[in-house]
Parts: sequence; C-alpha cells; structure tokens
Amino acid sequence: MEQGQEGAAQMEQGQTIRGADAVIKALAAHGVTTVFGYPGGAIMPIYDALYGSPVEHLLSRHEQGAAFAAVGYARASGKTGVCFATSGPGATNLVTSLADALLDSVPVVAITGQVSTAVIGTDAFQEIDVLGMSLSCTKHSFMVSHVDELVPTLYKAFEVAASGRPGPVLVDIPKDVQIAMLEYKTPLQAISTEPEHTSEQLNDARALIEQAKQPMLYVGGGVGMASAVEQLRDFIKVTGIPSVATLKGLGSITIDTPGYLGMLGMHGSKAANLAVQECDLLIVVGARFDDRVTGRLASFAENAKVIHLDIDAAELGKLRLPEVAIAGDLRQILPALSQNMGQQFAAWQAKIEHMKQEHQWRYDRPGELIYAPAMLNRLAQKLPKNSVVACDVGQHQMWVAQHMFFNRPEDHLSSAGLGTMGFGLPAAIGAKVARPDATVVTVSGDGSFMMNVQELTTIKRKRLPVKILLIDNQKLGMVKQWQQLFFEERYSETDLSDNPDFVKMASAFEIPGRNIFKASEVEAGLDEMLNSEGPFLLHVSIDDAHNVWPLVPPGASNQDMMEEMDKQT
Amino acid sequence: MNNYSLALNVQQRPEVLERVLRVARHRGFKIANLSMQLNSNNSTSIDMLVESEREIGLLTNQINKLIDVIDCRVLFSDPSAALVKQKG
Repeated sequence: MEQGQEGAAQMEQGQTIRGADAVIKALAAHGVTTVFGYPGGAIMPIYDALYGSPVEHLLSRHEQGAAFAAVGYARASGKTGVCFATSGPGATNLVTSLADALLDSVPVVAITGQVSTAVIGTDAFQEIDVLGMSLSCTKHSFMVSHVDELVPTLYKAFEVAASGRPGPVLVDIPKDVQIAMLEYKTPLQAISTEPEHTSEQLNDARALIEQAKQPMLYVGGGVGMASAVEQLRDFIKVTGIPSVATLKGLGSITIDTPGYLGMLGMHGSKAANLAVQECDLLIVVGARFDDRVTGRLASFAENAKVIHLDIDAAELGKLRLPEVAIAGDLRQILPALSQNMGQQFAAWQAKIEHMKQEHQWRYDRPGELIYAPAMLNRLAQKLPKNSVVACDVGQHQMWVAQHMFFNRPEDHLSSAGLGTMGFGLPAAIGAKVARPDATVVTVSGDGSFMMNVQELTTIKRKRLPVKILLIDNQKLGMVKQWQQLFFEERYSETDLSDNPDFVKMASAFEIPGRNIFKASEVEAGLDEMLNSEGPFLLHVSIDDAHNVWPLVPPGASNQDMMEEMDKQT
Repeated sequence: MNNYSLALNVQQRPEVLERVLRVARHRGFKIANLSMQLNSNNSTSIDMLVESEREIGLLTNQINKLIDVIDCRVLFSDPSAALVKQKG
C-alpha cells in the first residue's frame, strides 16, 4: 500500500459508513485514482458513493470496454486496474475481458453489483449467478454475503490480483450489503507467500548453462509482470546468451541487443524459429510453451535441455518436462543465476548474428499501394520514447509484433492468450489514463475496430488524445488468409467490403481523421496523426492480397515455415 | 487409464466444491468417487478418486493454485488399489 493513502484510511478508522462508501474508501486506500465502468440498478449505491468522491470514473459505453480499459490501464502501468458493472447483463458483459486478463495474467479487480441477498436464487430482475459464472474466467472471485466481510474481502481481492502470477479477481456485492452500515477498519493483511528458489536448483541450472554450446533464452510476458526487465537485460549482458521473445515478451529486450532475434512461433521471425530449433539449451523465462509459440510441441527445440523459470509452479512441466525447474521471483533468480558467469558462446553468437543478417525483414516494396509492415516499421521509428501501442487481433497484430519495436513490455499491449478482437481501442483508453504523458496509439483492423467501436464516445467525452491507426483490407484478414491457404480459397463470411466510412464515423464522435491509399501518403499521414493535438483516426486502405509471413502451418514444426507467397502489387 | 486418490483440505466456502470439480473436469480428469465432510475448524475435507490419461501433477498443480485450497495430497496412484476402493 502506498504511503499517505494508508494514513487517510487510518484517519477515518472507526467511522460508521455505508458499504458502498466503504468500497470507494477501500479503493482509495489501494491507490486507485480511476475506475472504469457502467452503472445500473444493482450497483447504484456504489455509484452514489462515487459521486463527488476523489476517485475518478471513466464511463465506457459497454462493460466489455470498461474492463478492457482496466486491463489496458494495468498493463501500461503495472498497477491493478479496477472496473465496475451492475448485476446480470452488466456482469455477463465483463466475461470476455476477465478471460483475457486471466490468460494474459493481468491484475484487475472487477466489482459487480448483485441483487439483494434476500432475493438471490429467486431469478430476480437482472439476477444471474455471477460467482458461478466467474469460476472459469477469473483467478479468484468472491460474493460478499454480509457487510462485515466487505472490507476484508476487497483487501483480499487486491492482494490476490497482484500477487504471485497476477490475474483478474471479481467481487460480487449484493445491493443490501452496499447500503448496510459498517465500521470501517483497515484489515490485517496476511502476507502471501511466494515460492523461493534453492541454491541446489541454481547450481543445477548453472551446470546446464556451462555444459551448453548453443543456449537460447525464450522470454515471455512473465518478465514484464515480475518487473524483472532490468535483471533480464543484465543477465543477457553478462552471459551473452542469444534470445527470442513471445508476443507478450516483446519490449523486454531492445532490438539492438546482440543476439536478439525478435518473436518466435507461428508468425515469428525465421531466424528466431531456426535458432530455437537448433539450440541445445532452452532457458525459458516467464513463458509457458503456448501452442502458438511451439508449433508441433514434440519437435519444439527437440534437442535442447530445458531450464524453466516461472513464478507459477503449475507451468513447470505442464507441456514440456524441464531438466531444471525453478519456481520463484525472476528478480532474484536471474541475478543469482548469472553470478560469476562469463561469456563462453562466441561461436554460437557468431552463428546467430549470421542468421539475423540472413533473415532480415525487407521493406523495399515496389508499387503504389501501402505495404502495412513498412508503414508500421516507419511508425515505430517516429514514436517518441514514452509511447504505448495497443493492438487489436488479426493480421495487423502480427505485423505490429514483427515490424514495430518497443522499449518496455508495458509499451506493447496485445491480447495474446485469448486473442480478443475489440481489445485495442478500450485498452488504449486505459493506457492513456494510466500514462497521460505517453503517446498512445491503437493499431486496429477493420474487423476488430467495430467490436468495441462504441468506446469512441469515451474518447470524445474525455477528449483523450488517443491515436487510431486503422488498417483496412475490407476483410477479416487472418481468417481469410487461412481460408486461402488451408480451406481451398472458400471465403466463407470474411468479406467486410460493406464497412462503414470510418473517417465519417469518427467525425460523428468529433474525432478528426484522414484516409490514405498510397505508399506516398504514409509519411504525411503518420505525421499528421502523431502531431495532431487531440484524438485522430488515420484510415489506411491496404491491398487485401497481403498476408502475414512467415507462417508455421498448424501441426507443423517451427522450422517448416511457409514463406511469402503474396502476389506483388 | 490411471487412477489417483486425492485428499484435499479446503476452506469452508459455499462455492469451494464447484471450484475443485471445475478444475478437475477442465484439466481432463474424470471423477469416479467423491466424498466431502465439513470440519469443525472451518475447513472441509474432500476425498476424490479421479481417472485420466494425464499425469496427476497436471491436476494437483492447478488445484493447489485455488485460493481456498489449504492442501492437496495424492494418497495413491496404483490402478488395482483404486479399483478396490471404488468397489468398497
């Protein structure tokens, strides 16, 4: 807990207040300055307590948008995001965002109103069993059945959301509990125990590294979540071990780091995939052998021994049995592991650098039309150091991962585990609230953008200077790509040529915009978007023939990548 | 098919059994036998016999992550012994 807030909470000890007021007070005690939400009948006492309180509220126009804004806020800042929704449909609308936060280990506390305890189980108006519904889409959940449990439950919720492997926690609060009176006392907090590594585990891991000739680091989102970016960068500097990252791991390692080959997996760089397939030791740091990373699991880094480091013991051996498994805090494990270690992999480093040179991305496209990878690479070059890019899901998301570069993992927000279309716009809103000084850009596609387009109103209401780069191929591009490659070009329901006029639509929300069609317009378009004072929508029409390359086909090993086969335009 | 016998000690919460059952089903374990008992110290004992092709660690690791689970022990994973207990 932050100083000052704790003092404020203690100052008012012993005061009798409504449950609803206690909710706001408990949030303030946890340093929460902004919540994202949408009111409704069963949460009205909490909205009443919010009225005039120092906690700011950002009204979304759909609860999924509110919860994604909380996710974006959390991912961009490292703090716990908070969202509110009412009972019934309000709560059910949260499910997708909570599931997204669960798969990407994002600390979020969702507070839902519930019908009064006396009518729970009677199929009352806007009643649904939210606790039951929450079991599969949260790290943990509570229903507060008595006002005495309210404050301790809220404190526990924040503790569970942020500790260990973070995740979403839902607190369902019946209306009668919100209006009941209580004496606010700061609860005594049990300190959660985190797993700790042993010196024997470290020795075993060191021995494997010393025996290795061709080690690789496979870096996941756990590094950023553990605030272990500096420790990882030091580890790489000390040992010189080459590295690759997952979608969530991007930004943990800067692109100018020697031996860093970018993203691995289904749409990873060729060098990254080949290097991992060739390595004799895979050091897995805060990652989980996701199927989009491994391709055919049985042949993933087939000849490598594995050292697996993660805070979540359940990930160790879940999909690949490691030779050494260490559950614990990466901030401690990484420095302990590299102690007294020198650089001993010169031949392998040289080979890696050669692979990196051989398989570089190329942006020299002939033709008049806009090549999205080149445009995104240009955008990355133009962005100031303090920037956040929130993507949606699909082809543009993979192009962002391949062709943009990030200073920190919290600068790249992408729905990785759940792959939720509609993530980008509300996540960008949350990121802008968390980091008002950062340039925040959402890169979206014409399919994804429509999934939470109502959040343009949230931007309008707060005049949030969120930049929207909308890449439009009038297709559900990633699905179309698979239909083209694996379903005999039977394009079932992936044509989106009846899209609205996006710039006209943005203007209805008082967001200025521009359409660009030609490669020659990219430079001025990006500059106009970035230099505009408020929000801006840059609508970019691209050729629908462009696909994401390379591609590891489903069921194939990562060395068997399909190479570009687009017709040149 | 492997049979495993598990003994869980969990917090007494109305939804705790649902949490354990959901995890068992989702992680690919069929419940062959189940009994639970409320204890006087606010805990609940759950004894389960589960079947799966999968390693038991894939289930116990996930059960141990549940906030309301105090501990989870594998009593045995011997197929014939499991059968005897099932019949008894």
